[in-house]
Amino acid sequence: MPTRADWLLSEELAPSTGGQLAPLYAAAAQGRLALPFCGRCGLPLELEQQVCDGCEDRRVVWRATAARGAVHAVTVVHRPEPGLVLAAEPYVVADVELDGGHRLVLTSVRPLAHPPAIGDPVAIAFRQLGGVAVPAFDPIPPDPHPEAPR
Amino acid sequence: MTRRGAAVVGLGLTEMSVRPGGEATQLAVAAVCAALADAGLARADVDGLLVGSSQGVRPDRVGVALARQAGFGDLRVLEHVEIKGATTVAMVEHAARAVCAGAARAVVCVFADAPLRERGTAGSTYARSGGNTGVRGLERACGVLGTVPTYALLAARWLHVTGGTPDDLCAVAVSARAWAMDNPAAVQRAPLDAEAYRASPVIAAPLRRLDCARPVNGAAAVVVTADPGIGLARRVQVLGSGSVHPVRRRRAGAESWFGGGRRAVEDALVSAGVRHCDVDVLELYDPFTVVTLHLLEEYGFCQPGHAGPLAREGGIGPAGRLPTNTGGGQLSGFYLQGMTPLVEAVVQLREEGAGRQVPGARTALVGGIGGRVDHHACLVLAAA
Repeated sequence: MPTRADWLLSEELAPSTGGQLAPLYAAAAQGRLALPFCGRCGLPLELEQQVCDGCEDRRVVWRATAARGAVHAVTVVHRPEPGLVLAAEPYVVADVELDGGHRLVLTSVRPLAHPPAIGDPVAIAFRQLGGVAVPAFDPIPPDPHPEAPR
Repeated sequence: MTRRGAAVVGLGLTEMSVRPGGEATQLAVAAVCAALADAGLARADVDGLLVGSSQGVRPDRVGVALARQAGFGDLRVLEHVEIKGATTVAMVEHAARAVCAGAARAVVCVFADAPLRERGTAGSTYARSGGNTGVRGLERACGVLGTVPTYALLAARWLHVTGGTPDDLCAVAVSARAWAMDNPAAVQRAPLDAEAYRASPVIAAPLRRLDCARPVNGAAAVVVTADPGIGLARRVQVLGSGSVHPVRRRRAGAESWFGGGRRAVEDALVSAGVRHCDVDVLELYDPFTVVTLHLLEEYGFCQPGHAGPLAREGGIGPAGRLPTNTGGGQLSGFYLQGMTPLVEAVVQLREEGAGRQVPGARTALVGGIGGRVDHHACLVLAAA
C-alpha cells in the first residue's frame, strides 16, 4: 500500500518501531495514544524509564491515555535542514503536557499558520511518516461559543 | 571537594577555525603539544591523560587511542570522560583528584571537535546525528533536528516563566560580543548592537542565529598537577569543585529544564572556602544566550527574574559588576564545549587577557552543563 507523504519531513526520519517505544507505535498505528505507567503505583513514566521513581517497581505497563494536553513550551523552527525538512514554511514544535501526566515533544498534525501559546489546549492526533504513525498535536481552537446543534 | 595543591600549569589552544579542515585527533594532538610547551613538560613527565570528545558516535571522535597518537609513553591514568557538555569541567575535577591522591603526577586534559565538514554546515552535522530509535528517534520524527529546537523550547519557556522578552537574549549576545572583540581567539569579533542582532535570522523562535554558539574546528588542552616543581607560567589553583546531575522528571506540572543545578556551585564554593561575592569572573557554558541567563539564576549569582535586567543593564559585560564570559563565551568566542569557559578562566587568572583583562581577577567560577541542562560541573579557580 503506498503511503502518503508527511507534510513536514522526509521518510528517512521515520522512527524505528521496535525497541522500547514499540508499544507506542503499535497503539499509534491503531489511532490510539499509549504511554508507559508504573505497573504498581500507576505513576506516569518517561518513555525510556524502566524503574518507577515513585515506588521502585520495575513493571512498566503501556496503556491508553487521554489524547489531550496543554502546551508547556513552543517554538517555530525556521531553519529547514536540507533534504530532511520538506515543508516550505516554518514549522511548529511543542513540548506538550498531557492530561495523563506525561510530556511529549511533538510537531503539529498539519501545517499551522499560527503557533499555539504556552498553556493552550491541544489534542493528540497522528501523522504518517514513512508508513509509521507518529503522535502530533492539534490545537483546540479557543472558541467561547459552543457549536450549534447539528 | 577541596583540591588544595592541584593547579592548572599549562594551557594549549589550536587555531579556532570556522572553515572545514583538520580532524579532531590532529587538533587534539596540536593542543596537547601546545599545553606541554606552555608548562615546560616533556611527554615523559606526563602520566595522566583525560580525553573529551563531542557526543554521538562519529568516526572521527577522539578517544583513548590519543595516548598513542600523541606520542605518550606509559600512563597511569587514561580515560575518555563522557558527561555530555559537562565533560571538560569534570575532567579537571578528575585530574585534580588524581594528582592530589597521588594517582598521577601530571595529567593532561584535552577536548577536540571538528564538526565543520567539506559537505554541509556544522548545523547539518548536528541535525543529521541522533538516529531513529528511542525518545530521540521520536523527537527527530517530529522535526527536532539538532540541538537548536530543544533549546528554543527551553528559551520560550524561560521567557514565559521569568516574564522576560527577546531583549534579554539580545543583551546577552551583545555582551558576549563586546567581550569577544578583545579576544584574539574569538571567531566573531565585529561590533554587534541590538539592531544587528535583530537582523540576524530566526533559527527556531525565539532563538536567532546570534543566540547560538559558533561551532569551530579546534581543540584545547590543560595540564593539571599538584607538584610545585612543575610549570613555567603563573599557576592557577583548582580551589574547589562540585557536580550535580539532577533528574528532573518530565511530567505535567514540573519544569522540563530548570532547577537542580545549584548544588554544583554550592559544593564548589564551599570546598574552595569562598562565597558568591568573592567571584571576580564568571565563566559559564553558553551554547545559547538563554543558558547564560538561566545559569546566572540557577547558580545563585542573581535573584530569580533578575538575570534579564542584569544583562540589559550591561551588568555582565565589560565594566559590568559581574564580568561573565569574558572572552565572548561560546556565543562569540568559540564553541569548544566546557573548554571555552575553562580556558577563559585560566587566561584571566594568569592576567593574560590583554584588552579584555578584568582588573584584579583573582577568583573565577567555571560552570559546565551537559545534555538538556541535566549535568552541571563547576570549578573554583584562583590565581596563585
